Amino acid sequence: MFETLENSAMAIWVGESLWGYPIMLSLHVVGLAVVVGIFVMRDLRLLGFFQGISFESLNSLRNLGWSGFVLNAISGVFLFSSQATVFIESTPFLSKISMIFLAAICAAIIQNKLRDEAVQWDESGRAVGSVRMLARLSILLWMGAIISGRLIAYL
Amino acid sequence: MESFVQAVEGSALNQWVIGSAWTWPIMETLHFIGLSLLLGALLIIDLRMAGFFRRINIVATHKLLPWVFAGFGINLITGFLFVMGDPARYTANVGFRWKMVLLLVAGANALWFWFRINPLVKSWEPHGDTPLEAKTIAIVSLAVWFGVLLLGRLIPYVGTG
Repeated sequence: MFETLENSAMAIWVGESLWGYPIMLSLHVVGLAVVVGIFVMRDLRLLGFFQGISFESLNSLRNLGWSGFVLNAISGVFLFSSQATVFIESTPFLSKISMIFLAAICAAIIQNKLRDEAVQWDESGRAVGSVRMLARLSILLWMGAIISGRLIAYL
Repeated sequence: MESFVQAVEGSALNQWVIGSAWTWPIMETLHFIGLSLLLGALLIIDLRMAGFFRRINIVATHKLLPWVFAGFGINLITGFLFVMGDPARYTANVGFRWKMVLLLVAGANALWFWFRINPLVKSWEPHGDTPLEAKTIAIVSLAVWFGVLLLGRLIPYVGTG
């Protein structure tokens, strides 16, 4: 299956054209900045930083954060395809994907809580303990994803 | 430039950067973390200043600024160490040179913000529209920083011509 993907027209364009790989890498770093940047800033707010920015207003950043996620899912599939058989056996790659998967679940739970409870948190001045715990976990997972992503090139 | 390269190559700092197999990947990882902090905080500040996300209190967005500076600081240090580690490659690289030019533009734009806009923000309507001058600075900032990001990622792929 991964061999078939690696021999697809998409994979060959990414792997062998002059600009395929660098274009996809560039999109991947833009997406990284958006998804990690926005979600981590949201997490920091939940942990008590940036007081004055209401919890309720964090709801408006949701689509921006996910747009970075989608950009990286797409550019990631292109990058993966070019060396599918190598990546699928790379421990740092598998650890990166697992952490992103868990971070996305965290983001989904956090945004549901924000939608339903943000107004209450604004009144009490802080997010509930379980959400603060998820915010810490989310930051660790995104940092872990960046670390393992970089290690793909080295291990 | 040649004398700079010669002075750096063989220096203690140069040897430290390239001396261990792990220094480079650790610095790269920190450079990515730094850019996420810098761009994440900046996106919120600039998009709000450009007039988007009006539910966010613009007067409070200045609290994100320390994270912009922290991300920039991490990347200034790691970036400086990259150049110390491989001065010949960076000084000759077109992508790196343009990235430095864009960083100067970003710096000038930040000064414009600091002296002309920042003193006024406190008096703005927290959820209101912003003046055209502020919008211009915000859009220039985002365009330049995403340019920095793209050029940085292209350094390994563009020539030295």
